[in-house]
Amino acid sequence: MEFVNPEGLRLDGRRPMEMRQLRAEIGVVSKADGSAVFEMGNTKVIAAVYGPREVQNRSQQSNDQALVRCEYSMANFSTGDRMRKPKGDRRSTEISMVIRQTMEACILTHLMPRSQIDIFVQVLQADGGTRSACINAATLALADAGIPMTDIVTSCSAGFLNGTPLLDLNYVEDSAGGPDVTVGILPKLDKVTLLQMDSKLQMETFETVMQLATEGCKAVASYIREVLLENTKQLESRRGV
Amino acid sequence: MKEREEENFVTPGDILGKALELKPGYGAYFSSHDKTIYASLTGFRSITPAPIDSEDQRATVEVKGHKAHGPVPEPGVVVTARVTNVMAKMASADIVCVGPKSVKEKFTGIIRQQDVRATEIDKVEMHSSFRPGDIVKALVLSLGDARAYYLSTAKNELGVVSAKSAAGATMVPLSWTEMQCPLTGQTEQRKVAKIDAV
Repeated sequence: MEFVNPEGLRLDGRRPMEMRQLRAEIGVVSKADGSAVFEMGNTKVIAAVYGPREVQNRSQQSNDQALVRCEYSMANFSTGDRMRKPKGDRRSTEISMVIRQTMEACILTHLMPRSQIDIFVQVLQADGGTRSACINAATLALADAGIPMTDIVTSCSAGFLNGTPLLDLNYVEDSAGGPDVTVGILPKLDKVTLLQMDSKLQMETFETVMQLATEGCKAVASYIREVLLENTKQLESRRGV
Repeated sequence: MKEREEENFVTPGDILGKALELKPGYGAYFSSHDKTIYASLTGFRSITPAPIDSEDQRATVEVKGHKAHGPVPEPGVVVTARVTNVMAKMASADIVCVGPKSVKEKFTGIIRQQDVRATEIDKVEMHSSFRPGDIVKALVLSLGDARAYYLSTAKNELGVVSAKSAAGATMVPLSWTEMQCPLTGQTEQRKVAKIDAV
């Protein structure tokens, strides 16, 4: 299949190094301590953060750091074919774990001992790159909840199809079976907290693909910063400062 | 307002300053490997100069403007609590207010027999000091055990501030140990708080 046409355009009309449109909104779940919706093109996820609160299961309580829990789920209506998936299938437990580990790496857990932080992410619309979108949504929700973090984590994916590195794969490109590199970084500290890849890639091309994904993460980071600034300004004006 | 411009806006991971010149306060953390202070919360940077008499002359840098968390009881503060259960050696209570602020989550406290009053602490009868449903003002003694905060009412101004009688009416305090029901005239035993006239 041709993923990049001779004019250099992808199936959805993007250039190879172009991201999909980003959109984010903070404070969408009123009951949660922090929440956000994050969209990357047609991929749309919602994240809600509760905590730091008392540990529900005392056996998991830790005396020197907070317990971070994460639950990932996909809405039944999020994909084209409606499937009734059991809660906690292999894919969602794996992504839950990935998100948990990524977020745990940036939360200053030692400041909140004997407490727990719950992160719930749900995919409302799936069009590739749900993993990245979930991490970005979770970061926004954590920042909204006022949970101390070393840095904001942002994530983006990149692939390699038809001999071209492609940024931010959509569902069709993702299901082509080619390599799919998901990167999560701490943009200010310049550290990688997540790196996953499906299928295989040559060493040299891997470098360029990962570089591309990292650039994507930085673009997401600057967008997230803008959203947070806008939100903080709004909070200020509502408070009448 | 002017100083709160966009250049003062920070997100987690933004550099706030060097540790040689500044001290990290709320919403900031110190990274030891590059001796730099970073923000850990979203908000605006604010710098408070150190008090003149302090040894450390570095100014404190904080991040302000984020959401406020609910108040949390800490040792030394006066809380308002509702008694839920009275046992022979202690009474348990749900903390509803910390100082003037109402709490968002559930915090439980325990008033032990020896913490009810200041004198004759071994002769305290828990059942003639509190009843379930009473509203008490109490001092937080310590973080207590894993389950509850330890509270104390061993001061004149601490104890029951509002209680319902068996008939269901709000009782009137008679002395520091008695309250009377305005409907039936019955007196009940309580550890009454002495509240200053407003």
